[in-house]
Amino acid sequence: MTKVDILQGTLDMLILKTLSNDEMHGFAIAMRIRQLTDEVIQIGEGSLYPALYRMELKGWIKAEWGISENNRRAKYYKLTRAGRKQLEGEVASYAKLTVAIAKVLQTA
Amino acid sequence: MIPHPQRLLHFFSQCRRRALSLLRRRRLHREMEEEMRFHLEMQIEQNLDAGMTTEEARYAARRQFGNQTWLKEASREMWSLNWIETLVQDVRYGARMLWKNPGFSGVAILTLALGVGANTAMFSAVDAALIRPLPYLDADRLVMIWDEMSHIGFPKHYSTPPEWLEWRRSNTVFTDIAATQPLKAILSGMGEPEEIPARKVTANVWTVLGVQPLLGRVFNEDEDAHGVRVAVLSHAMWRRRFGGSPDVIGRSISLNDSAYEVIGVMPQAFYFMPGRDIELWIPTSFSAEMLTQFSWHDVQCVARLKPGVTLQQTRESMAALSLRVSAPHVDVPRSAVVTPLREELTGKTRTSLIVLLGASASVLLISCVNLANLLMSRWAARRHETAVRAALGAGRKRLVAQFLTESLMLSGFGSIAGLALAIPLMRFLETLVPETMGAIRLTLDWRVLAFSAGVAIASGLAFGLAPALGWSRRALQEGLRDGGRGALGPSKPWFQHALIVLETALAVVLLTNGGLLLQSFEHLRRLDLGIRRDNLLTFETPLLRYKKFEQSVLFVNAVLEKVRAIPGVVSAGAISNLPLTEIAQTTRYALPGQTGSETRTQDALSRVVTRDYFVTVGARLREGRFFDGSDQRTNSPAAIVNESFADRNFPGRSALGERFKFGWLEEKAYSYTIVGVLKEIRERGVAEDLKPVIYRLHEQADQTGNRPSGVIIRASVNPSSLAPAVQQAIWSLDKNQPVTRIRTLEEIVDRQLSGPSQSSALLSAFALLALLLAALGLYGVLSASVTQRANEIGVRMALGATSNKILFSFGMRGLKLTLFGLVLGLGLAIITTRLMTPLLYGFEPNYLPIAAASSLILLTTAMAACFIPARRASSVDPLVVLRNE
Repeated sequence: MTKVDILQGTLDMLILKTLSNDEMHGFAIAMRIRQLTDEVIQIGEGSLYPALYRMELKGWIKAEWGISENNRRAKYYKLTRAGRKQLEGEVASYAKLTVAIAKVLQTA
Repeated sequence: MIPHPQRLLHFFSQCRRRALSLLRRRRLHREMEEEMRFHLEMQIEQNLDAGMTTEEARYAARRQFGNQTWLKEASREMWSLNWIETLVQDVRYGARMLWKNPGFSGVAILTLALGVGANTAMFSAVDAALIRPLPYLDADRLVMIWDEMSHIGFPKHYSTPPEWLEWRRSNTVFTDIAATQPLKAILSGMGEPEEIPARKVTANVWTVLGVQPLLGRVFNEDEDAHGVRVAVLSHAMWRRRFGGSPDVIGRSISLNDSAYEVIGVMPQAFYFMPGRDIELWIPTSFSAEMLTQFSWHDVQCVARLKPGVTLQQTRESMAALSLRVSAPHVDVPRSAVVTPLREELTGKTRTSLIVLLGASASVLLISCVNLANLLMSRWAARRHETAVRAALGAGRKRLVAQFLTESLMLSGFGSIAGLALAIPLMRFLETLVPETMGAIRLTLDWRVLAFSAGVAIASGLAFGLAPALGWSRRALQEGLRDGGRGALGPSKPWFQHALIVLETALAVVLLTNGGLLLQSFEHLRRLDLGIRRDNLLTFETPLLRYKKFEQSVLFVNAVLEKVRAIPGVVSAGAISNLPLTEIAQTTRYALPGQTGSETRTQDALSRVVTRDYFVTVGARLREGRFFDGSDQRTNSPAAIVNESFADRNFPGRSALGERFKFGWLEEKAYSYTIVGVLKEIRERGVAEDLKPVIYRLHEQADQTGNRPSGVIIRASVNPSSLAPAVQQAIWSLDKNQPVTRIRTLEEIVDRQLSGPSQSSALLSAFALLALLLAALGLYGVLSASVTQRANEIGVRMALGATSNKILFSFGMRGLKLTLFGLVLGLGLAIITTRLMTPLLYGFEPNYLPIAAASSLILLTTAMAACFIPARRASSVDPLVVLRNE
């Protein structure tokens, strides 16, 4: 249910970035990204949770059950060291990609 | 490329996570649901905060959430090891399908069981005979050395003691050479005297072979050199005669009336020369005189190659060495032949085993083709269901995987059933292997099981993939469209037809080869052996206890008289080697006026007989007479020769009255006069070549020759019934005289024919099976084609075609396929018969009747197979069919 289609890799990167400073549960991650992008990127559960589970299997994030703000049980995700490394890598290549695309778009 | 250690660790922890997730699936499932619920509730709360009513909030949240089921599926796929879940699903689905079609499943499993079972049994025979390691250390470095004596018709001949000695001393290619001689060993003093299969071996044989005894020790060079009487037992002998008790070591046994001490027992798997039935080994203890006898050919040499030396080098080296060694001592210096030990032990059966393995493989191939066709037709019938599944998102890969699972399950069940079938087949095959192999045991060891599993998997993949891959997208669409009415074949019928042609060709190949073998076997069976085989009883009574010539003559004559007195005995005689049983036992002869060098190619089989022998066996004369009362002990004795001898030495004229001597006795030698020429008796065996033979009367054979220890009796009653009376007769003369190998001549012949008879029976069985399967295949394909084209037939009939025309048309189509298969098959058969020639016992095959017979059998079977579906086609009611349009 995203308004703009984003690639799986980019989605991963966004999630990792969001978790780089905080532990959050899935809903909060989606909310934060919506807020930061002014509703442009709205990640639905259908994309969010598969991504989270995939990254957990790959060892980039770790999950723990905790109590949410409204006293409910929720699963909190946090970044691992491998995840942090992955994030750095992804950010770097994304930057390269953007520069490259910009060059192409600049030509008349 | 060595992976980065960090990444490797990461990979492993990933694997572990995946594995763990698989194990804790249920808990993860619940957690996932809980997480979703939480997310939904948060969304509802947010909606409420935004101002919606409870109803609206819930509704909006739910809608936003999307299809939960699909989400759960997608998430679940992330978690678990996907392929195991799908595999389990496929297996359960496949099992259900198999259960719902018991007829089809039964036929398929049975066909596979036959194919896999036959192949497993054949492979176990090939494995035991050709592949399984011999019970010696580094057996591939072991060879045998023979004398090369093709100038007398023996390209591989036993060698002599002095040659062994010299070869051992002077060779450069072996670590050591051991020698072995035959031994007639009569064990007495423990109940009835018994002749046991035994060998003499030089003391270094144990180190050459690289084996250790199970109990006790083996004899050493010292004991061998000094003639110490020690013996090593085989495992079987130890169990049988000594009850497997460890106190056998040190016991004294009586061999040939001498005391021997048992010093060791060999392990169960060990056997040595030439068969597996040798039960005892004693030292050769060559005497000084023996070591100068360059004409005493009964030695077989076994040697171990030095590391790094090749067989070719060895052959050249030994050929030269042998010539050097023999030159000063014999007229014709002889070369040596070196052959790998394994070949000696298994060579005879190699071709027939491989041919049979090929035949069983062909049968399996044909079964797979049939199954492929069957499956193709069945999946065509399920086309609708398949198309729906495809539409619902199962990729083509998933469908193929599904089909493969089904076929692998079929082959799994089929191969388990096949293993059960293989076991009795293996018991049967054990009797197929010739005498040199002794009691071979075929077992389902890991190699055989691995082969069986491999065959099962390969066939499952073969008949599963072939139709699955032939499934085009168009077929899927068509499936959806007309709702699965009628059974449409896959869109490429030529593929199925090609398969039918192929399997027909294979069946033809098997039929022709089987026919060839049967033809040769029939020739063998009908062969004139030179004697009248019926009602002949034979036995052996070794005359070792009657060493002096006069003693042995008296004893033999007394035995024969006693035997003749038994009621039911028509006549009795004795001979040094019973007919059909001894390949060699030759001696050099010289014609008058010949010098030493001229006699070098003159070797004939030598046999010593009693007076009534020829009459007893029903031999026939070409000219002259048998031995009679006028032949007494003298120094110009008589001899009877066979046609080969006469034709060779006195071509074109009568041999009667001609004389010869045994060359190596020089002046003292008697000069024999030929008094009779015998029509050929196959002394050497049913399938062996004929050679010249010299027969002498035992009372005149004082200078040389073996004693006539083989007795043959013609009975007027069932010969086997006389056995106890015969034993009694002999024991009444001498209670310690062994009476061994009591069997009728028919049994001897049958034993020699058993190998060939079973080979041809087996091959024919495979051929008939192949034919049956090919016919079934043809029937199946035509049948499916009729169903598929039911509409077309209806139209044609409505347009005026008579039912006979339809019958003819379908029949012709089947016939065409068969004819292609026949032509292809006959062509292939011509190539394969080349491979078969060593199995044909030297007979020239007569191809034409076999090809004609095979073609006829094939065409009739094919016609029968075509007839039923063609009839069905012709009886289609156009109204019924067209109404469904």
